Parts: sequence; structure tokens; C-alpha cells
Amino acid sequence: MKVVPSRSSEWVKPVTRQEPAPAIIEIDHVSQVFQTSARRAHVALSDISLTIEERAFVSILGPSGCGKSTLLYIVGGFVSPTSGAAKMKGNAITGPGPDRGPVFQEFALFPWKTVLGNVMYGPRQQGVRATDAEAQSRTLIEMVGLKGYENFYPKELSGGMKQRVALARTLAYHPEVLLMDEPFGALDAYTRTRLQNDLLNIWERDRKTVLFVTHSVDEAVFLSDKVVMMSKSPGRIRQVIDIDLPRPRRRSELLLDPRYQKYVVDIERMFDESDEAGSLA
Amino acid sequence: MMSSAGIVKRSAPVLACIGLLAVWQVASLALKNDSFPTAIEAIRAIPDILGDKEALVNILASLRRMAIGFGVAVLVSIPLGLLMGRSAAVAAFFNPLLMVIYPVPKAALMPIIMLWLGVGDITKSLVIFLGVSLPVIYHSFEGAKAVEEKMLWSGAAMGLSPAQRLVRIVLPAALPEILTGCRTGLVLALITMITSEMIARQSGAGNILFNALDMGQYDTVFAMIIIVGAMGIGLDAIFERVRARLVRWSEPQFDLPLSFS
Repeated sequence: MKVVPSRSSEWVKPVTRQEPAPAIIEIDHVSQVFQTSARRAHVALSDISLTIEERAFVSILGPSGCGKSTLLYIVGGFVSPTSGAAKMKGNAITGPGPDRGPVFQEFALFPWKTVLGNVMYGPRQQGVRATDAEAQSRTLIEMVGLKGYENFYPKELSGGMKQRVALARTLAYHPEVLLMDEPFGALDAYTRTRLQNDLLNIWERDRKTVLFVTHSVDEAVFLSDKVVMMSKSPGRIRQVIDIDLPRPRRRSELLLDPRYQKYVVDIERMFDESDEAGSLA
Repeated sequence: MMSSAGIVKRSAPVLACIGLLAVWQVASLALKNDSFPTAIEAIRAIPDILGDKEALVNILASLRRMAIGFGVAVLVSIPLGLLMGRSAAVAAFFNPLLMVIYPVPKAALMPIIMLWLGVGDITKSLVIFLGVSLPVIYHSFEGAKAVEEKMLWSGAAMGLSPAQRLVRIVLPAALPEILTGCRTGLVLALITMITSEMIARQSGAGNILFNALDMGQYDTVFAMIIIVGAMGIGLDAIFERVRARLVRWSEPQFDLPLSFS
């Protein structure tokens, strides 16, 4: 993939090609079959192979039911593939671990814990001293824009705020890879845009590897270095598209950029051709 | 400062009690039946019972058996219910067993238990234990089953082992449901306590009540009913306060989320 030289890059500067970054996640001929009843089986994923490089922001884009979330769960170690294997830094993934931090559409916060308690949970589990964990967590809460809400319970927060807490909670235990499962899918358009911008700003600071599942073409192009297009029944990779847009990205500038527009239109056309656009929304 | 609506709300239970006693009083005076004393007569008998050392020892013995039966039931039923909720194998094993026990009135088992274990504390506590267990198991099971998978995944990603997830995620997440079961269990404990003492008459609040009935001391009978009822209301009120504190985070007063993205 093409890596943009980090912060210094100016808007119109031509993109330079560098040595490919080392692979962090390798998905090797993964298939997933769900037995829906005694006689019927649903092939959620069929022979998926994909390599994700370190510090890349990769989106998996596809219609509902194409198995994109399942693929993410396999990388997370939450689901075992029927065949094939996923590897993290060369080691087979056999279960969940703190090197891969999930952020779910459903937030999945611990409702009995306050915002601070949720964010501190991971570091405390990792054996970080309470005072240190609290200090780090307060910094993270501020970073996601929730300063002042440390002692609120999840139930008192709006959807967007909950997802901010979920992001901070996952970042708190320093996973090497962020696994984001349609994280903004349950939010209204305005909140969604704000969170996309904030996510990119946060990501720019340390550029963790991100695997981001979405069904929004705009979102995938705006955020990603690479978009993996999937088709359904059975879930397969259609095409992998490198997004050569400079970073840091500013939404207001990007929306006017013909290159951005072309990516969006091209991808939508490709889905249209296979008559899957209807299920994309 | 309390609003007038607040005053009405606060005083409603008191008014209901007074109304009930008034109806009782009038009904009793109208019926003129020896076995139906007036409310005032019954209330007058209460200090006599509570002032009597032997009666107090009996009531405390009842409460002790109830506490043991309830406590052990909760300690056993919560882990069992949680395990059933999270493991299909454990649920498959215990579910049919519980289905068989469920409709059996626990007091109906007393004769057999008395035969084996005598008429003492063990038998009565065991019956209370049986009465309390089922609702607590059921609610723990339902609570554990409803725990969001993704919440457990989030914990697993942080490095929590399956046992840690059960104690540190499933238990707190299911706590509101568990405590609902415990509250039902508490009332059932009181009911089974009195029933057990009615069957194995030896000591306890139930024993006072039925002895008084045998001797035709109807004011004492009704006074004991009031005392037992008040115990139930009191225990339930204490439990409700503890419960509300423990699950403050899930209470509906927090239902209005802040508007901020």
C-alpha cells in the first residue's frame, strides 16, 4: 500500500511511495459456515485472504450480510473460522487478547461503571496501579471530548458520547490493532460526522492499525488508506482499493476534492453493477 | 419543601392502612363474631406479645431460620443460575430438574424432611431454602442469559478469563434481575417460614399464632397476623433500599440521556 509521509504532508503534495510496511494481520483462506438448521448451511465467508499492514487504516466495506463483521470477529478471536486461519504478527489467533481492541456498534459499555470506571477497567486488568490508570484514563476521556463526564453512568449519556467512552476504554489498554465494528452505525448523521472527524484526529496521533467495518462508502473513503470491498452470498472480497488521499484529512476540503469524489462514485458504481447497491444503505 | 402531590404520594400508604383498619373495625362490630375481634382489640394485643420474653424468643428463632434459609439459598442459587445462563450444558442438566421441583409446594415436602431430619431448625431452614431457591435461580438465569455477548467480548479482549468474566461482568450486569429474584425470594421465605412452623409446631411466630388459635385467643391470632405482616413489609422495605442503592446505575431516573454528540 501507499504510505503518505506523516504530518508534514501538504494538501497538494504528490503522494510518495515507500517500502511496504510489515504485515500485522494475515488472513489466510478463511471460510465461515453457519449451520442454520440441520440441513441448511449459510456460507458467511468464502475463502478470504487479506494482509493488513502495520499502521494502516483499512475499511471493510460491503452490504449487510456479506460477513464483514464476522471477518472482524475472527481477527478479534471472538469467533473461530470454519477453515483457514488468521494470524497476528505471525502467530495464529486462537482467542481474544489485549493486542486487538474491539469497538462495537452496540458500545457494550459496562453499565454499572462510570465513564472513568469503564476506561480504567482495561488498564486495571493489565495490572496498572490505580492512581496511574486513573491519570491515564482522565487524559483519554479528555482526548475523546468527555472532560467533566467522568462520573456519569453510561445510561446518562447519548449514543455519540457512549461511543466516545467505548473508544477511550479500548485505547486505554493500548491495543496494537483497533477493531471497529460499524462503530458509528447507530448514530445520527450529524453525530456520525463529528465522530469520524474526531476519530481521524485521534488516530493521527499514533496511527495504530485500524480495521474498520462499515457499509457507508463515504465513511470508508474518508477514513481509510485501503478499502476492502466485499460482496455477499457467499461473502467474498471483490476488490481492494488503495485510497491515495493526503493526510491529515479535513472533511471540508476532502468533500470538494475530485479525487475523493471519484473514489466514492467508482466504488458505488462497482456495487451498482453487481446489483447490491440496494442492500448497501 | 414538598409539593402537594408529594404529600399525597407520601401519605397514601398511611391512608390506605387507616382505611383498611377502619373497614375491619366496622365489619367486626357489625358481625359481632367472637372469632373476629375488632381492629382495636387486635392492636391492643400487640404490646402484650412484644412485651413477652418467650414470644420474642420465638419470633427471633423464626427470623434466624429465615435468615439461614434465605442466605444459603441466595449463596447457592445465584452462582447456579449464572452458570446455567452462560453454559448450555449446565442449563440442559438443571432445567428439567427444576421444572419438576417448580410446581411442588415446598411445604408439601415437609413431612418427608421431618421424617429424615426431625422437626428442628434444620428441617425448617431447609424448606425455606427450597422456597427461596427457585425464583433466585430463575432470575439469575434470565439475567445471565440476557448479558450482551459484546460486553463479554470486550472483557475478554481486556484479558479477563472465563471465570473472571462470570464474576466481574455477568454478575454485575445481571444484578438488577438477580435482586428482583431475591426480593420475591424474601417474601417467599417469610411465607414458607410461617407454613413450616404451622406444620412442625414447636417454636416460632407461626407456633404462637396457631397456639393462640387453638386456645381461642383470637385477638392474639390477629395481632400475630399484623406482626408477621409488618415484618414482611419491613424486610421488604429494607431490601428495596439496599437494592435501589446497588443498582442505581440501571434505574429509570437516568433514562433521559444528555443531548451532546
